[in-house]
Amino acid sequence: MRLDNLKSSKYSNMRSSVVNSFFALVFSLVLGAVFIWVTGYSPFETYKAIFGLSFSTIKGFALTLSQATPLMFTGIAFALAYKVKMINTGAEGQLYAGAMAAALVGAYVTNLPGIVHIPLALLVAFIAGGIIAGLVAIARVYTGASEIILTLMLNNVIILFTSYLANGPLKPEGSGVGQTERIADSARLMRLVPQTQLTIALLIVIAVAIIIQFMLDRTVFGYELKVTGNNRRAAEVAGINVSKISILTFALSGAIAGMGGAAMVLGVNYRFIEGFSSGYGFAGISIAALAAYSPFGVIPAAFLIGILRAGTITLSRTTSIPIEFVDVIQVLVIIFVAAPTMIRQILNIFKRITGKKKKNEIAGGEVQ
Amino acid sequence: MIDFDTGLVISILASTLRRTVPLLLAATGGAFSMRSGVIDLGLEGMMLAGSFFSVMGAWMTGSPWIGLLFGVVFGIIFSMLHAVMHINYKVNGSISGMAVNLLAAAMTPLLLTIVYGLSGKSEIVTSFSNFDPEWLMGIPFLGPILGSQNVIFFIAMALVIISWIFMFKTTLGLRMRMVGENPHAASAVGLNVKAYKYFGVAMSGALAGLGGAYLSLGQMGMFVKDMTAGRGYIAVVINAFGRYNPFGALAGSAFFGFFDALQTIFQSVFPSQLVMMTPYVVTILVIVFGLKGGRSPAGTGKHVEE
Repeated sequence: MRLDNLKSSKYSNMRSSVVNSFFALVFSLVLGAVFIWVTGYSPFETYKAIFGLSFSTIKGFALTLSQATPLMFTGIAFALAYKVKMINTGAEGQLYAGAMAAALVGAYVTNLPGIVHIPLALLVAFIAGGIIAGLVAIARVYTGASEIILTLMLNNVIILFTSYLANGPLKPEGSGVGQTERIADSARLMRLVPQTQLTIALLIVIAVAIIIQFMLDRTVFGYELKVTGNNRRAAEVAGINVSKISILTFALSGAIAGMGGAAMVLGVNYRFIEGFSSGYGFAGISIAALAAYSPFGVIPAAFLIGILRAGTITLSRTTSIPIEFVDVIQVLVIIFVAAPTMIRQILNIFKRITGKKKKNEIAGGEVQ
Repeated sequence: MIDFDTGLVISILASTLRRTVPLLLAATGGAFSMRSGVIDLGLEGMMLAGSFFSVMGAWMTGSPWIGLLFGVVFGIIFSMLHAVMHINYKVNGSISGMAVNLLAAAMTPLLLTIVYGLSGKSEIVTSFSNFDPEWLMGIPFLGPILGSQNVIFFIAMALVIISWIFMFKTTLGLRMRMVGENPHAASAVGLNVKAYKYFGVAMSGALAGLGGAYLSLGQMGMFVKDMTAGRGYIAVVINAFGRYNPFGALAGSAFFGFFDALQTIFQSVFPSQLVMMTPYVVTILVIVFGLKGGRSPAGTGKHVEE
């Protein structure tokens, strides 16, 4: 009986968060359309260009998925850290660290078969992102420093430092831009659709999402993690090592973001290129919010945001509409998802308006 | 190599002061926010909004003073997003603060493209000139340092003193601090807790917007994408470092401003990326090792039910 109640409450929670996310996305697109219209562009043309790409050709669909892949990594990273009520704004930096680590393993560790080389590069990226986030979490737990500020400062440090490496000691001879040596063929990820950038990175990230979701739902560590997130003091009383859980979770979060960087290097660019991330780290925040911080929910959420981001390519090619609109819409998603009461209020206003209309129609009918 | 002489010292100190101003304004604004019990994580976005809209105001009207006003007003407008989300809808203050930062980071490049048709930077507008009357320049050492500051520097110094007097010497300031420390008690004695919080956040928006305006209008006379480059976050740290006190913010900002100034000098000697890392590394060291024993107002993030 009690178990049934628990299950149904879990189900209704999930349903209400799906409804919430759905309306958050709809409101963001509508508000975005208003904004596009106010600034003198056509919202219809904008959304046609954006959504047209993903659903017209297989290549367009593959492009959307390949754009969504790094976002899935950073989205899972943010969602996982948020489970212990920690905010990992450092995915961008962890992504760069992972990318640099993978690029080094890819280019300088040679004579390995692909079956060893790829996992090795991913593992090193995983460790690089994990160590960075782990150190932040240790500082957070033992000195009370804000993990938000620490990760944001570290983002700048890591991006500048990797840029120094790519422009200095690691720059290949004769290269005009800041980048590292090309990785060996054995480190390249297999393509899923020929002539696109869609690689097995997509399958890797889906596997990561499943593993993390399983860990949360079915393991002792996952249980302790959730208790820690819900009520830190209660967790301490129950004998859970809250510090250890927080540090490990945050490190894992950073490690996943690091793998996202490796996926970009091994699957798309084949080397570390300075400034390669177009805000993947911060987009992860919108995606995690849209997924209501469910690691597996990140996969469809990232796909939706991926549609918007892939759409910017056709948008800039076929129209003069500024692509930065998409970034604004992404932020609107975070704002709406964060305030469910705001969504309920807006829906109530709509209901009142449509309710009145119906009454008017009935009244009008009677007069006739 | 670098020759150390009086000229260099003067230029480092003058540059330190110039780099102190935006941090100081934002951190003082943050003190208002924190003292009223609202976390000040949105400073970066408010600053960025201030730096963009001040240039736009000056571009539209031709007057840097109206530009400055634009910076302040839009700083407040962006701060209101944080206020509404956090105070009315009880969203976690870190999330609503980040929402402001992300919104400003997304909006400013978009508006840059729409308004100027350029990506990355705005057109150059009339900016403030240096405040260098002859009697001031005549003073040895101090003269050339103060003479290379513009009028916003002097406004900022006055604002720090006024803010300190407001917070610690007036009834309103005392009440605002009470709301920050214990919103329930404040509510029980009949204070309008939400109004004080709104005031605190609006002040943080106004001052951060002014700080942003100093960066764009006051220094380069134009807006460049991502111009604040994390200064808003550094201001959050300075504010904690200065114990949420405007004079503490002054000391903290001068400390960070000095490291920021040093990096421009050393860029000719070391690789620029490594030198540019210094202010961020200093910030990290301060957060980890320098903030011990400090505590934020006890009521931070607490809401009062009506």
